Amino acid sequence: MRHPTDGVLRRLLDEPAGVTDADRGHVAMCDRCLGELAVIRQDADLVHAALASEVDGGEVAVAAAWHRLAGAGSAPDRVRVAAPPRPGRVRAALRRPAAAGVAVAVALTGAGAAAATGWLEIFRTEQIAPVSLSTADLNALPDLSAYGEVVVTGEPDVRQVPDAETAAETTGLDVPEVTDLPRGVSGEPEYQVGDEVSATFTFAEDRAARAATRAGAPLPAPPPGLDGSQVRLVAGPGVAEVWSPSGGTPALIVGRAVAPTAFSSSGFPFETVRDYLLSLPGLPEEVAAPLRTFNADDATLPLPVPADEVSTSTTDVDGVPATVLVTHDRTLAAVTWVDDGVVTVVAGPLDADEVLSVARGLR
Amino acid sequence: MDLARHRGLTVAAAAAPAGVADAAAELVEREERLVVSESVRGAVRADLDEVFRRHYPLVVGVAGRVLGARDQAEDVAQEVFLAFGRSSVPAGEARGWLCVAAAHTALNLLRSGRRRTSREESAGATPHPGQTEVADIAESVVASEERRRVRAALARLPRTQAVALVLRHSGLSYADVAAELDLSPGSVGTTVRRAESALRKELNRHAPSD
Repeated sequence: MRHPTDGVLRRLLDEPAGVTDADRGHVAMCDRCLGELAVIRQDADLVHAALASEVDGGEVAVAAAWHRLAGAGSAPDRVRVAAPPRPGRVRAALRRPAAAGVAVAVALTGAGAAAATGWLEIFRTEQIAPVSLSTADLNALPDLSAYGEVVVTGEPDVRQVPDAETAAETTGLDVPEVTDLPRGVSGEPEYQVGDEVSATFTFAEDRAARAATRAGAPLPAPPPGLDGSQVRLVAGPGVAEVWSPSGGTPALIVGRAVAPTAFSSSGFPFETVRDYLLSLPGLPEEVAAPLRTFNADDATLPLPVPADEVSTSTTDVDGVPATVLVTHDRTLAAVTWVDDGVVTVVAGPLDADEVLSVARGLR
Repeated sequence: MDLARHRGLTVAAAAAPAGVADAAAELVEREERLVVSESVRGAVRADLDEVFRRHYPLVVGVAGRVLGARDQAEDVAQEVFLAFGRSSVPAGEARGWLCVAAAHTALNLLRSGRRRTSREESAGATPHPGQTEVADIAESVVASEERRRVRAALARLPRTQAVALVLRHSGLSYADVAAELDLSPGSVGTTVRRAESALRKELNRHAPSD
């Protein structure tokens, strides 16, 4: 059998019960794996000791700390707390203000297109256009769950596969082949695939009303019948090729996925519901206004971008309109485009010309 | 952006319904800033006391593993609990949320002090001649140098690797780490292993040859 991965061996040290019997059995009989396990154990022990801090030495004075916290003003104000992403990247993505804005824009339409298991396809991404917003605006937005219930019905289960062929078989996508790697990037990529994901959003008037109250304004009357109507968002599967110098920061990422599509359980005109959702209290006008310009006929997915951190420009990749994103500190560039319902992204700690060169050289 | 959050980017590029939008957010996201909305500022949740008493030592431990210093770790923990007190994170998710927030906040602090750390590191590479004559002082210099190197290396790690490493060494299970970082339990081992390998190389690079 194949040797278990480093990751399996690492887990074997901490949680043997989390490793399959087959892997455990293999390791016990395999000199190579046992040797590797010894090295991994040494590293783990070394790092554990190195990470130990004076905090470990003594008792933590909880009561005193509580008094300090309860004293509110005495708390230090120089540290900014980084809120962790909430569990579940898809759920987290949906909770993201940016995503909420997108979902609002993508959400509902009556454009009667193909029906899928009783759902009407109401939006298919054919292109992407950036919408520049300030980070503050993005963070100030309420999340989608403020307006209703979000149920993730399919998780991507992102996993590594051995090669491009397997990635293509798994996803049904043409895996892009990079012809010329940028300077400083070498070797073979790691292939990762993710399954189709889907999520259903059910508009709930009472929840939206509560969100409106929190924002200090009454809820505008929703169009009759909107309460309880559902939108299903579907995207993927997808594949990513990641070039990383041995375990380090990725030097280049090429990703491709089936672009998002939205289905509706009801026949609301897209524009009606879009305008309603964008009129809800708590959504700054500077945010709502650009999103209001998107409509189903354009099939353009708005891509909210924090203007204070990223510059965007448009170009083309083999004749297809593409969006270039460059961080202001020029540490990262990316280019993304949609072709025939498939979105592709090329990104890395490179300059815009380099990612474009990779993008245009894809086969 | 911390490009090493590539898994998030992968997910975004690969699948999420809002993934394309999220990809952009991921691209520029240096860290997820606290979303304490203006509307809830000032209101503190009722279960803060209980959550604080139960998890404070763990949260200080997480921040301490990143920062190495108790006073800084306690400052971070205070801020994290203040943020939690104003949040609507379900009580059942508090432990993981607090640990991840502590790790990110401490790493941000570390990174903001990175330039200073690098300077200290290079200055420390040539200790004062007198110090080498006294064994215990030399030893403590070596130990403090090692701590600095570890923290500098930690700041350079891809963010997901650094957080996974710190959470794991703070005692969170693979399942907990996986849930908090949206990794599969199987890939937690790989992520932690990569981080340990990178840190070990960093430590060996500076280790005395004897």
